[in-house]
Amino acid sequence: MFTSLFLFDLTFWLYLAAVALYIGFVALGRTGLQLAAAGPGQLSTSDWSAPVGQLATLITVVGLFVNTAALSTRAYERYQLTGAFAPWSNQFEAMAFVAWAIIVGYLLLEFTYGIKAIGAFVVSIAFLAIGAASLLPYRYQTAEPLVPALNSYWIYIHVSVTLTSYAAFAMAGGLGVMYLLKERAERKGLQSSVTTAFPSLETIDELGYKAITIGFPLLAFGVILGAMWANYAWGGYWSWDPKETWSLIVWFIYGAYIHARMTRGWGGHRAAIYAIFGFLMVIFCFWGVNFLLSGLHAYA
Amino acid sequence: MADSIAEDPLSKKSAELVGWNRFDWSGLPGKVVDVLSSLKLAISLFIALAILSAIGTVIQQGESSDFYIKEYGEPLFQWFQTFGFTDVYNQTWFRAVLGLLIVNSLTCFYKRFPGIWRSMRQSQINVSPTFIAGLKQHAEIPLDRESGHVAEQMIDILGGKGYRVSAKRTDNGISVFATKGIMGRVGAHVAHVSAAVIVLGGLIGTVTGFQDFGIGLPGETYYIPQGDFSLKVEKFWMDYYENGAVKSYNSTLTVIDDGQEKLTKTIFVNNPLVYNGIWLYQSSYGDHWDRIDSARILIADKGSDQVVSDVMLEWGTPMEVPELGLTLNVTGFAADFSFDSKTKQVSSKTSEHKNPAVQLTIAEGDHRFNPWLFVDFPGIIDIPESKYAFEIAGYLPSKYTGLQMGRNPGITIVWTGCLMIVVGMALSSSIFHRRLWVNIQPQGTKTVLHFGGNTHKGNIDFTREFSAFTERIKGMA
Ligand code: HEM
Repeated sequence: MFTSLFLFDLTFWLYLAAVALYIGFVALGRTGLQLAAAGPGQLSTSDWSAPVGQLATLITVVGLFVNTAALSTRAYERYQLTGAFAPWSNQFEAMAFVAWAIIVGYLLLEFTYGIKAIGAFVVSIAFLAIGAASLLPYRYQTAEPLVPALNSYWIYIHVSVTLTSYAAFAMAGGLGVMYLLKERAERKGLQSSVTTAFPSLETIDELGYKAITIGFPLLAFGVILGAMWANYAWGGYWSWDPKETWSLIVWFIYGAYIHARMTRGWGGHRAAIYAIFGFLMVIFCFWGVNFLLSGLHAYA
Repeated sequence: MADSIAEDPLSKKSAELVGWNRFDWSGLPGKVVDVLSSLKLAISLFIALAILSAIGTVIQQGESSDFYIKEYGEPLFQWFQTFGFTDVYNQTWFRAVLGLLIVNSLTCFYKRFPGIWRSMRQSQINVSPTFIAGLKQHAEIPLDRESGHVAEQMIDILGGKGYRVSAKRTDNGISVFATKGIMGRVGAHVAHVSAAVIVLGGLIGTVTGFQDFGIGLPGETYYIPQGDFSLKVEKFWMDYYENGAVKSYNSTLTVIDDGQEKLTKTIFVNNPLVYNGIWLYQSSYGDHWDRIDSARILIADKGSDQVVSDVMLEWGTPMEVPELGLTLNVTGFAADFSFDSKTKQVSSKTSEHKNPAVQLTIAEGDHRFNPWLFVDFPGIIDIPESKYAFEIAGYLPSKYTGLQMGRNPGITIVWTGCLMIVVGMALSSSIFHRRLWVNIQPQGTKTVLHFGGNTHKGNIDFTREFSAFTERIKGMA
C-alpha cells in the first residue's frame, strides 16, 4: 500500500553499505600507510583504499537519490490520502528527512573539502537515524492524516527548517566523536591507529564549529516560524509548550557554544565534548520530548 | 576587558589611539560595564536559561496542589512552592535572567559595535613585515618582477575576489590592505539588538493587549466588550477524513458593529478572523452542558405498558402528538445533573456528560408538567397525573465552538525583531570577516612580497582561500 516504505527500506540498506565502505576506506588507509612505511616500491593494499573510498561516495550518492525518491513518493501518497503533502509529518518521516539533510550536508562537505574519512562518522548518524525510524511500529510509519492543528502550510517550512538544523547539529556531534578518537590515537602514538586517515584535529574542530554556525541560525528561524504558526493557529506565539521550550533550550545551549568560541582558545577537546553533549540534547528534544513529556507537538 | 575576545592587538591599539574610551558612561563605574558586556556573563546566562527552562518542562507547570502532592509528595512540593518551580516562566528570577541577557547583549553592542563600524570606513594599511609574519596565515614570496607592477597585480587579484583594497607607498616599500565580509560582524550585532526588540514587543503585548477564551452556540450573538462589537455564531460544523478522523472544525461568524453586519467569515484552525485589531481563532469545540439540539422521546401508555409513540423533538420547538392529545417541548438540559435545594435551580455540576438529564415541557389536556428525565435512569420519574410514561431514548448534544480571541499591539514589533535576528544571524553565519596585508619590498629589479591575513572565524575556508591567493601570486606573469 505504501510504495515509499520499500524505498525507505532500500535507503536503509544503501546507507548501511556506505557506512561499511567508509569504515573500510579508513581501515585500508591505515594498512596502506603501514606497508608503505615498510618499504617503497612494493605494491601495497593502500591501492584498495582509493577505489573503496570512491565506491563509498558513489553508494552514498545513490542512497541520497533513493532517499529523495522515498520522500517524494511519501509526499505523493500523503497528497493522495489527505491533500497535504509534507513528507515530514510524523516521527518516522521526520527521521528520514533528517537523514536526507545530513547526507546532503555531508556530500557538500566531501565535495568542497575533499575529505572522505568523515563519512565514517557522519553517514553513520544518517544511517542510525533511518535505522531508528525503521524500528518504529508499523502504525507510526504510515501516512496518517494530520490533526486539524497541523494541517497547514506552515508545516512545510517550520518543520523542514527545524529538522535541517538538527541535521547540522548531528554533523557537529559526529565530528566531535571523530575529534576525540583522533585525539586519543595521537596521544597513544600515530602508527597503531586507524585515525591516520582522518583530517587534522584543527580541521575537524573547524568543521564542527562551522556546522554549528549553520545549525544555530536555522534553529532560531525554525523556532520563530513555529511561533508565527502558533500565533496564527491559536492566537499566542509562545506558550512554553515542552517542545518549543526544548528547542529554545537547545538554542541556548548552542548560543553558549557560539559565544564561547569567541573567547580566545576555546575549542578543540572541550568544543568536541560540548558538541556531542549538544547533539544529545537535540536527540532529547526530538525524541525524548515526544515520548516523555506531553504537549501540542507530541503527534507521534 | 573582562574576557579576551579573539581580536588582533592592532585593532585594539588603534581603538585606543582613536580614543574610543573617551566615552563617559555617565559616571557608571567602568568595571560594571565590563562585566555587563562580557562574554563570560553571556555564556553563563545562556546556560542558566537552558537549565531554568528545562526545570519547567520536567516539572509540570500550573497544576493544582493536589496534583503535585500526589506526584512528588508533600515535602518536595513545599520546596517547589518556595522556589516557584510550579510556575517557572512567570517567576521574577526567570524574567530577571532573561532581562540580564538583554542588558548584556545591548551593552556588548554598545561597546563593540562602534569599533566595527569604524573599521568599515578606515583601513590599517601600513604594517611592518614583522607584523605580517606574526599573523596566522602568512607567506614570504620572492618575485622576479618590479615592485610597482607587483603592487598593481596584487590589487587586481584581491579586488577581483571582492575585497576592498587600499594601497600606500611608504618608507619600507608598498603596503596593501584588503578586507572583506565585515557585514558578517555587523550581522552578529544586528542579532544582539534584535533580542531586545523581541522582548520589548513581548512586553508591549502583555501590558496593552488581552487574551480571552469564550464559547459560542450557533445562532447566538455575543458582545465583545474589548472591541465594542458583537459576534454572531452562524454555524458550527466538523469535517472528517474518510477514516473518520477529524479533518477540521469550522465556525461561520458574523461581526455586527453599530447594529450593522460588517463581515462574515468561516474560521477554522489556522485561519482566524480579524476585526478592529481583534483576532478570533477557532481553538476548540465541545458538547454543550446545558443545551442539546434534539432528543428522542418514547411515550408509553401506563395502562397497557406499551410504547405508543416515538418522537424526535427539536430544542425549544413545541411539537404536537395529536393522537395522544399531547404537546411536547424540550426546554432544559443538564449534562451532569445537580439540584440546589435552596434556590430550586437545576444546573450542571461539570461540563462532562456524566449524568445527563432532559427537561420536558408537557401539555396534556389542561395539565402542564415540567419533569426532568434522566437519560441513564429511565422509569424513575413518574408523573402521577399523566396517562403516559416518558423516556429519553437518546439526544444529540449541541456543539459549541471554542473561540480564542485577543489583541496584541506588540506583535509587529516582535516579528520585526524576529526578522532582524534571522537576517543578522544568517549574515553572521554565511559571511566571515577577513583581512589581508601585503608588504611589497623592492630588491633591485626584483621584489620580496610579505603576505599575511587573519579572520575572526571560518579558519578552514580562509586557509583555502589564502593558499589559493599564494599560488596565484607565485604564478604572477
Ligand atoms: C541575546 C541573544 C544573543 C544572540 C541571539 C546572539 C547572537 C550572536 C551571533 C549570531 C553571533 C555571531 C556568531 C558567529 O559569528 O559565529 C554573535 C557574536 C557575538 N556575540 Fe552574541 N548573541 C547574543 C547575546 C550576546 C551577549 C549577551 C553578548 C555579550 C558579550 C554577546 C557577544 C557577542 C560577541 C562579542 C560576538 C562576536 C561579534 C563579532 O564578531 O564582532 N552576544 N552573537
